[in-house]
Amino acid sequence: MIDRQMILHINWAMLGVVLLLFAAGVLNLYSASAYRIGEGTTLTPFYSKQLIWGAVGFLAMLGFMLVDYRHFKAVSWYIYMFFLLLLLAVYFFGVPIYGAQRWLSLGFVSFQPSELVKIGMVILTAHFLSRIQHPLELRDLLKVSAMVMVPAVLVIKQPDLGSGLIIILLTGGIVLYHGIAKKLMKIMLALVPVILPLGWLFLHDYQKTRLLSFINPAQDPLGSGYHVIQSQIAVGSGGFWGKGFMEGTQSQLRFLPEKHTDFAFAVFGEEWGFAGSVILLLLFCVFLYQILIVSQEAKDRFGSLLCVGVFFYFFWQILVNMGMVLGLVPVVGIPLPFISYGGTSAMVNFIMVGLVLNVSMRRFMFKG
Amino acid sequence: MNQFRENSFFSDRPASHFLLVLVAALFFVLAFRLWFLQIYKGEFYFQKAQENLQRRQHVYAPRGLFLDREGRLLAVNEPSYSLALVREDTPDMDRTLKQISKWTGKSLDELRADFERGRSMVRSFENQILVSNLSFELLTRVETEAPYWPGVKVVVQPRRRYLQGEVMSHVLGYVAQASEQELAADPGLRLGDNVGKHGLEYTMERILRGSRGLKQLEVDAAGRVLREYMLAPPQPGKDLQLSIDLELQTYIYSLMEGRTGSVVVLDADTGQVLALVSTPGYDNNKFVFGVSRDQWRNLLENPHHPLQNRSIQNAYPPGSVFKPLMAALGLENPEISPGQEVSCTARYRLGDRVFRCWRSHGRVNMNRALVESCDTYFYQLGERLGVDQISSFSVASGFGRRTGIDLPHERAGLVPTREWKRQRFNDAWRGGDNLNLAIGQGFIQVTPLQMARLTAAIANGGHLYRPSLFLEEKKLDPEPLPWSAGTREFIYQAMLDTVEKERGTARRLRTRGADVGGKTGTAQVVRLMPEHTEDDPEAVDYWLRHHAWMISFAVSGSQRYAVAALVEHGGSGSAAAGPVVKAVFDYLFPQDQEQTTGHDP
Repeated sequence: MIDRQMILHINWAMLGVVLLLFAAGVLNLYSASAYRIGEGTTLTPFYSKQLIWGAVGFLAMLGFMLVDYRHFKAVSWYIYMFFLLLLLAVYFFGVPIYGAQRWLSLGFVSFQPSELVKIGMVILTAHFLSRIQHPLELRDLLKVSAMVMVPAVLVIKQPDLGSGLIIILLTGGIVLYHGIAKKLMKIMLALVPVILPLGWLFLHDYQKTRLLSFINPAQDPLGSGYHVIQSQIAVGSGGFWGKGFMEGTQSQLRFLPEKHTDFAFAVFGEEWGFAGSVILLLLFCVFLYQILIVSQEAKDRFGSLLCVGVFFYFFWQILVNMGMVLGLVPVVGIPLPFISYGGTSAMVNFIMVGLVLNVSMRRFMFKG
Repeated sequence: MNQFRENSFFSDRPASHFLLVLVAALFFVLAFRLWFLQIYKGEFYFQKAQENLQRRQHVYAPRGLFLDREGRLLAVNEPSYSLALVREDTPDMDRTLKQISKWTGKSLDELRADFERGRSMVRSFENQILVSNLSFELLTRVETEAPYWPGVKVVVQPRRRYLQGEVMSHVLGYVAQASEQELAADPGLRLGDNVGKHGLEYTMERILRGSRGLKQLEVDAAGRVLREYMLAPPQPGKDLQLSIDLELQTYIYSLMEGRTGSVVVLDADTGQVLALVSTPGYDNNKFVFGVSRDQWRNLLENPHHPLQNRSIQNAYPPGSVFKPLMAALGLENPEISPGQEVSCTARYRLGDRVFRCWRSHGRVNMNRALVESCDTYFYQLGERLGVDQISSFSVASGFGRRTGIDLPHERAGLVPTREWKRQRFNDAWRGGDNLNLAIGQGFIQVTPLQMARLTAAIANGGHLYRPSLFLEEKKLDPEPLPWSAGTREFIYQAMLDTVEKERGTARRLRTRGADVGGKTGTAQVVRLMPEHTEDDPEAVDYWLRHHAWMISFAVSGSQRYAVAALVEHGGSGSAAAGPVVKAVFDYLFPQDQEQTTGHDP
């Protein structure tokens, strides 16, 4: 299944960047969990848990590299359906945390199917589009929309607006990359201003206040605007060189909320400053660029589209999370790949990387 | 037409270029934002982060203590607990205020109003004191429940305590919460601070207060204090040692209890006040806790006006204690000789009016007139001297103007003049007015302190000092009494005679071991009665009774003291005021024999 040749063709640069990012993330989590004042809830510090999840994710990544990615085509619908079932299971048996039902518990471990479903989405969309040789017509678009809307609605209902949006955005990215018939495109653009206000009606109250406080955080500085304000203060106060590892007052003294998860980058920005943040950003861009290279070198359209799907997955996660931390995007719960704490998310990230590596190592294989 | 190729479409497909552009855009947008936040506005956000964790807290400076001349404590500070709010830490102000109302029983509307009024006076992240003087039960309750109410703090402040309450109330006054006007006028004051409102607490505010210190705290998001360091240590207020002799003061107060009046004891040599008693007193500790409306009304409606310091804030007709001054003026006048006798038939006719003396004295010279307090002699003197001389001499002797003691709201009293009467009553000064003035009746009004000060000057060789309340201050602003040495000697002797001679009115003052001189006075009262007393004959009787005066000096070796005592509606000066003055001298000149026998083996 794997030969020496393939191992040579693995995109080592990408893997290296990924491991660097992950290491930076663990280090950052170490700092973020240092001063926790124990309330008896979590005894294991976040960073060590994240290390375990990373190791598990790494193994999963290797697993996803073993099998030739072209086999995924045949089972893409099954993978997709499997994740949909998990989402439904969340709907019925999920564990509510902070009023949202996102978690499925297996007793010894809990995970978020809303993260996993992104893998299914990437594979299925790539498979679906790889068989269409022309820019999408309305009929194709409706099919894709149906495919994406079922999981997206289930996820948004949890409610997890962030992941729902990512599912829609990453699929939309691949679709746009594939191309849409020009006429259809024009009609869709014309419809945007009609659909957006309608979307408002479907938002939860807390989501609405988040959006409003994004526009004017000072309106409610202790409530919903708090995240936005404190996160910018954290990053901004880092200055050029940062306050130093474990020296960030915003995170260490817990002014910064969600500092392990969604706002982990704010901790990083505060402690490593502009210099560290730009290097981190650069690493992410190199990583994205490597995905694009693999996508270009892939020897079939499925492999190429698979990489584009993964590209958009990471692209949106990075953009939305960093944008949120830097106050450019409203607060939606999206983790920053490799940096934020989150077991399922770490798994998914590594599996996504595995998909791309899979394509890269098999780019010279010629099937008879 | 197949626009897709299986391989190498990265370079020639516009869509792939677009993905590269996306990556570049991602980088530049986020990097630009990072630059904006961290470099362009880095300093601003750094300050913000510092503000988050660093809070400044005032450290209360202990207020200066009051001690008596022997070093006995009069006013001390003790810890008191107040409930405060840090509004930036309070997520739900309405609920929190409701909870505070539930704890303290203070009405929600009142709390809201206080909060709104006070918020502008407190900087962000600073404690805003809402309820002071928490009881101990309330304190424990708030302390246990406060962790569930972010923003709620218990603040320890020093609180004033007056150890003797009523006894020293008129001297010390009291502190109470600074009013809005006081806060606005004094940048050194902060909401919830106590400030001197009366007495020495008021006049010595600057010295007593000291200056508050500043502490920097490092806190976490929950407001827990992690570190603290002093930026500026508090400067404690200065302790003040008074010239008051607490034992004497307390003794006099107990003698005067149940009576309304004033007793002033001066060290005649230094001008220091040894005792300054005004009865009834009031419990000044109540003001520190904030007097309730009812308590305040009771104090104001009490017909004996306990808040008034009668030693300096009330002026009374001096009656016969004015006579030494009249006699002195006569002695200064070349036309009048002290040996000249006047016949007293208990009646003195002026035009068609008859002025009465309290007794028929027969032929009296000046000395006898003083010793036996003959009004007729002084009618005659007043008629001869006239108002212009009398009033200017009175003012020069310390009347009609403030003594300048370090207490607020001192009254000047009143020395009438022709001009004054014209303005006040639109009437000319008449001969009868002269007669009334000569026996200390009519328009003239003096304070007990003014009377004591003059008595001290008679005893100390003619020095009018500004009465001093502090042990360190002696012989303040000396002013010569405009009496010649001979005049002063004559009056001094006459006052001694008043005590020593068989017919002297102040015989009861005779004290072993000291030369005591004195003068009694019984001042007629013309005043409105308090409401609702007409029905009660005993009350009517009280309010119509004369004021009793006694001025006196006692000299023994190097010790010279002057005392003025006034008992409102006490009747006869000798009977009502005399025993108090005598008790003062017995205290000041303890009988050596009695004291030493105790130590004999």
